[in-house]
Amino acid sequence: MKKTTPLLLLLVFGLLAAMFGGCTAQEGSLVATVVVTATPTARPEGAKTVLRVGTGDSGEGLTPHFKIIEMFEAANPDIQVQLEPVGSGDYYARILTQIAAGDPPDLLQIGDDAVPMFVDKGAFLPLDDFIASEQYPLDTSIYLPGVMEPGKWNGAQYLLPKDFSPLAIYYNKKLFDAAGVPYPQEGWTWDDLLATAQQLTLTDASGNVTQWGIQLPGPWTTGFEYWVAAAGGSLVSEDGANFVGYMDSPEVQRAVQFYADLYHKYKVAPPPADMNAFGGGNSEFDSGKAAMRLFGRWPQAGMKQNPNIDLGVAPLPAGAKRAGVLFWGGFGISSLSENPEAAWRFLRFYTGAEGAEVWKDWALPTVKSVADSSGLSNDPIEGVWLNELNHLAPRAYVFTPYWGQTADPALRRVLESVILDPNANVAELVATAAQEAQAALADIQQ
Amino acid sequence: MRRRASDVTRNAPAGLHRTGWRRWLVLAVLWGVAILFLIPFLWMLSSSLKPNYQMFEIPPRWIPNPPRWENYTEALTILPFDLYVRNTALITLLTIIGHLTSCTLIAYAFARLRAPGRDTLFVVMLATMMLPYPVTMTPLYALFNRLGWINTILPLTAPAFLGSPFYIFLMRQFFLTIPRDFEDAARIDGANTLQIIARIMAPMALPALATVTIFTFQATWNDFLAPLIYLQKPELYTVTLGLQFFRSTYTTNWAYLMAASLVTTLPVIAVFFVAQRYFIEGITLTGVKG
Amino acid sequence: MTDTPSSQRVVRSRGSRLARREALTFYLLISPWLLGLLLFVLGPIIASLGFSLTRWDMLSPPEPVGLRNYARMIEDRLFWQSLSVTVRYTLMYVPSELIGGLLLALLMNQVSVRGIRAIRTIYYMPSVLSGVAFVVVWMWLFHPEAGLINATLATVGIRGPRWLADPNTALTALWLMSLWGLGRTAVIYLAGLRSIPRELYEAAAMDGAGAGQAFRHVTLPMLTPTIFFNLVLSIIATFQTFTSAFVATNGGPLDSTLFFVLYLYRKAFQDFQMGYASALAWVLFLIILGLTLLVVRSGQWWVYYEGEQQ
Repeated sequence: MKKTTPLLLLLVFGLLAAMFGGCTAQEGSLVATVVVTATPTARPEGAKTVLRVGTGDSGEGLTPHFKIIEMFEAANPDIQVQLEPVGSGDYYARILTQIAAGDPPDLLQIGDDAVPMFVDKGAFLPLDDFIASEQYPLDTSIYLPGVMEPGKWNGAQYLLPKDFSPLAIYYNKKLFDAAGVPYPQEGWTWDDLLATAQQLTLTDASGNVTQWGIQLPGPWTTGFEYWVAAAGGSLVSEDGANFVGYMDSPEVQRAVQFYADLYHKYKVAPPPADMNAFGGGNSEFDSGKAAMRLFGRWPQAGMKQNPNIDLGVAPLPAGAKRAGVLFWGGFGISSLSENPEAAWRFLRFYTGAEGAEVWKDWALPTVKSVADSSGLSNDPIEGVWLNELNHLAPRAYVFTPYWGQTADPALRRVLESVILDPNANVAELVATAAQEAQAALADIQQ
Repeated sequence: MRRRASDVTRNAPAGLHRTGWRRWLVLAVLWGVAILFLIPFLWMLSSSLKPNYQMFEIPPRWIPNPPRWENYTEALTILPFDLYVRNTALITLLTIIGHLTSCTLIAYAFARLRAPGRDTLFVVMLATMMLPYPVTMTPLYALFNRLGWINTILPLTAPAFLGSPFYIFLMRQFFLTIPRDFEDAARIDGANTLQIIARIMAPMALPALATVTIFTFQATWNDFLAPLIYLQKPELYTVTLGLQFFRSTYTTNWAYLMAASLVTTLPVIAVFFVAQRYFIEGITLTGVKG
Repeated sequence: MTDTPSSQRVVRSRGSRLARREALTFYLLISPWLLGLLLFVLGPIIASLGFSLTRWDMLSPPEPVGLRNYARMIEDRLFWQSLSVTVRYTLMYVPSELIGGLLLALLMNQVSVRGIRAIRTIYYMPSVLSGVAFVVVWMWLFHPEAGLINATLATVGIRGPRWLADPNTALTALWLMSLWGLGRTAVIYLAGLRSIPRELYEAAAMDGAGAGQAFRHVTLPMLTPTIFFNLVLSIIATFQTFTSAFVATNGGPLDSTLFFVLYLYRKAFQDFQMGYASALAWVLFLIILGLTLLVVRSGQWWVYYEGEQQ
């Protein structure tokens, strides 16, 4: 047995090596070549400063990172950048572990709602002195409106924007044309949304729905903040101390009720296929069986290639107010970094005009001149996304570092309940949720 | 009484007299269950050939139209999967060698040798499997960081040479079913403990060793959290770390994920297909002398 | 604890010098494991016990809070919910794994059937898929509209449940999904089956035992060490179920699949409460340890070790 097992393994590994050696020897894609050639061990380390960069991006989304790094290293031969990507899901587990062990990357990417907690607990260096420095200053007026805000805490800048997405309404022109319904326009309201969705919801002879008016993102709490803002409400007091009186306010109740009615009373929205995250399992819009979809810009590239869809994007409808919300990712310098100077030089390049020039092909650029010069601002689709930046309402997390661990799960429970139960009592649900969130906050601050 | 190993053919009969309708019944059940187990795989295969917008069509569609074969070439070249396979293969090979050597010795000791504290240590060993990984991950990372082992394969392979409770327990159970006569005979012939383990126990427990090999292969090949935490440079990444790159927070490239998952599973399936003969032919291959 | 018959005293007569030598050999052989225990295992375990007595967000230094984390659990609705989900799932999964795995192993053991190696490989194949792919394919099969299961049910006129989207069926769906991985347990049983000496069956046949009797009087008793192993490991692993819910449901809907370790992971890495997460981990540890000790104790009544017969 001692002889045979290793032999067997050798055989299998040999087979494998042959199999894979053959099929990837061709030129390969850009990412493949970059990943392989960017191997730091293949270079003399010399006196170079090695910068580690943590990102939660993945797959094709890494290509712009590698491009920018290549450009930066060519212009800054004294610095070598090592990207440490972790796909979705476990990114925070890894960086928290690294920070706790005193070994985080020099630059860290985090999402909007994590900013207050990380900054409040001292994980990031304040950037204001760097921004105003003589040798490597940063002109912050180059950015589009609203994209610097999520990187701030208590008035100081801690992170700079990587990319962002507002919410908007995708619509399928094919289905609108077939039903003879006009495309939605800026200035439309919740009533218009409902009327449009009702016109586009079709049923067969036996009453089964064959086409839905609008695909909604299920119990996705952050997406739901749009409805709250448009109803004129807010989920938390501005000092971050109170959920009671906010989460259970009449405005929030109205938002929850309207959202629930779209599912149950008017039956214009398909029931969620799963209750995970943001109702990602629903496929009606992609299958050409829903006329509209409320979501961020992330899946847009795939939709443009989908023969079931002739894509249009409409602004968010106004409720009591015209409002929208922003989703955002940014980079900051770890307070444990041993090379903050070098980290700043890279950060400034990464998130400044040079970086934005690369980002624009993958996401909405953060720099206004780049958006204008590339024609994105006037594009019939991209222009709609960029215009949403003029209507942003503050997200709930900006008022308290503890939003995610207190009120967010309570709000999620409300949304799950109203989506699952057509007879749910909204007033009661939001009252319970507000009290639960309040108690959780008291528990943390105790 | 003294028995010779060759008297014991560890090939149990199937337990069913397969004549007439019984034989057909067995065949029907065997294939019926096999088809049930295959359906999700066929669905994966079908999905791996679809364009992404056909992924969740209502109603579901079996045959992709048109089949998109490029999903395979693209999924395997957009990331350097050949590199990931090589990295994973090395880690897997070392872990298997580690487990086969260390766990056999340790399991023999727990199964056969009497010593004060043995049973307590055995429970301690079981207990080390009971604390959920998320809470020991951080101190473990700090430890390996202090040793300078981050960004090396040492945190993933070195512990394998110091035994792993699951496999020690598994081997111990099998050693306990082996009659003592064989060892006693060998001991009378002057064999020492290591010789007994190598020449008597290991060959007798061949099905168990095959199980350890297959399970270690599968577990290491599919391990996710440990490589995620300890391997930070892209050039050290393993297959599972590559697979997760097809998912991001708001979108997932389903076709690539399925295509790459299927292809990277092939080595493990191949190992199982080959290794299963060790379950069946077992002892007859090695010809133990008592 | 003892799961070995206490008939060893007879052998003690070999003398204390021999016994000492045997003990020395024992510790020599297990020394790699002891080394690993001291180097890599005990430290982190003790550290996590320490964390459980603190409030720690992993970003700033931990502050000691005594037993407060443990006291907090009593009032924590989600602690009880996650415990209840985990216990209910364990009660569903462990018996089905023990029995289903054995049935599958008996099928895999039909050596004289043509093509059995291919069939055996098919049974095992799901177990080799990486966790995420395994779960994702079932999310598709369970999809209420676009999924194969409900589409198949619809052809015979049954309106299928909403599976993962319905709190009444989500846990059952995860359980059904897990059965696809039974091949793993079956392989351990298969190794056990193949280790039973054929002479025992020959002896039974000579005594006129039929197939059923041979199974009851030879196969089952000889398989008890394997069953014991599978039972202990199944309890330890099932109480720590994580991946299926993490990928498929994230604990929902309405916390109906909030497994204990998923809750603990959420507390540690999403809610920045590593101290509380560590306390949760230690409570789980004590529960699993208690159950395992019960099983190990009971082993002396029903586990039969051929090698212990003198």
